[in-house]
Amino acid sequence: MKMEDMPLSGSDNTKLETLVHDIYSELVEDACLGLCFEVHRAVKQGYFFLDETDQESMKEFEIVDQPGLDIFGQVYNQWKNKECECPNCKRLIAASRFAPHLEKCLGMGRNSSRIANRRLATNNNMSKSESDQEDNDDLNDNDWSYGAEKKAKKRKSDKNQNSPRRSKSLKHKNGELGSTVSSETYKYTYNTGISYETLAPEEVRSLLTTQCGVISEHTKKMCTRPLLPDADAVEESDSFDIPDGQTLISHLQWEDSPDVSPTDSASSKASTNHSDSRKPKKKKRASLGLSSGGGASIGGSLTGGGSSSQSNIGLPAKKKRPKVPAPSISSIYDDLN
Amino acid sequence: MSKESRMRASVNQKLTEMGERERLKELLRAKLTECGWKDQMKAHCKEVIKEKGLDHVTVEDLVVDITPKGRALVPDSVKKELLQRIRAFLAQHAT
Repeated sequence: MKMEDMPLSGSDNTKLETLVHDIYSELVEDACLGLCFEVHRAVKQGYFFLDETDQESMKEFEIVDQPGLDIFGQVYNQWKNKECECPNCKRLIAASRFAPHLEKCLGMGRNSSRIANRRLATNNNMSKSESDQEDNDDLNDNDWSYGAEKKAKKRKSDKNQNSPRRSKSLKHKNGELGSTVSSETYKYTYNTGISYETLAPEEVRSLLTTQCGVISEHTKKMCTRPLLPDADAVEESDSFDIPDGQTLISHLQWEDSPDVSPTDSASSKASTNHSDSRKPKKKKRASLGLSSGGGASIGGSLTGGGSSSQSNIGLPAKKKRPKVPAPSISSIYDDLN
Repeated sequence: MSKESRMRASVNQKLTEMGERERLKELLRAKLTECGWKDQMKAHCKEVIKEKGLDHVTVEDLVVDITPKGRALVPDSVKKELLQRIRAFLAQHAT
């Protein structure tokens, strides 16, 4: 229905306001009526006065509004400072810690047998003093909460390098590795003074063919990340820009001939120009890597051929890398040994 | 003033058709409960019922007693907001 156009004059305005107020009154009356129906029904059905009882009970359950109490009138941290005597070890334990302590103390909880077994294992490996046992008990009290476990681990980090707890968290990380490697691994990974010189070459090789093996500067720990064949992007190839001199050069020189165009002479200079135009960016990185890699053991073997051949080698090295990771790694560490 | 009554009729029709009336009703109910008006009114009802006797109370009794008090007890903020919304609706759809 189309509205007629009305110019807004004074009387019209008041008319509009009256209309607005009328609509409002209608709405309020509606709400009141609704309430009346609700109450009347409650009365007739008998549930209107259900929340009222005799005066005595009303006083008893009145809402409490005092500081230190909740609305029921109870003190909420009443048991915070109380201590209970353990019937087993006769120690005084804080009330909130009492139940977990009893669990460990009586040897009846879920974790208590696990801890006991672990403790036996550590006791067999290393001889421990009496005081250690007691500290471990406190440590184990925090077993169930991961955050406390982390804190406890940090505190005792100097004390217990070979504790089974460390191997437990590492085992989760190394789940996908073979068990043989991991059993070997966790003996080495958290020794502060790990160095590859102390291990036999065979062990090093087996270690490094399956794991990353980089020793962190901060923690002096060996990285246990499993090697992924194509994980490294071409960009982060600085470590691999240190080619193992003899093997890699021989590899690449053999593969080099397809790169040289038939019209050019077979000199390395021509192929350098060729690769230059194609990938200037990578050439720069390659030569950087090579020059910095000179410091490593292999630098001496690269001097033959001059700079142009060096850059030539660098570029194909990037292409070839995904195919020959393992041999080059073991050969690098062969050189180290 | 048939023009006016026609206008009123059409405004009311529009309010209902567009669902605005329902929305306003719900809004009012929510606001009244929130501000404690409903509990106040219920307490007053209790008095009326105790006065008239639990078994003989009728709807009429309640309505007659409650409605004027209810109208008076609506808080100003709620009243202003509702009037605002109604005016806005009229401004948008009535001219």
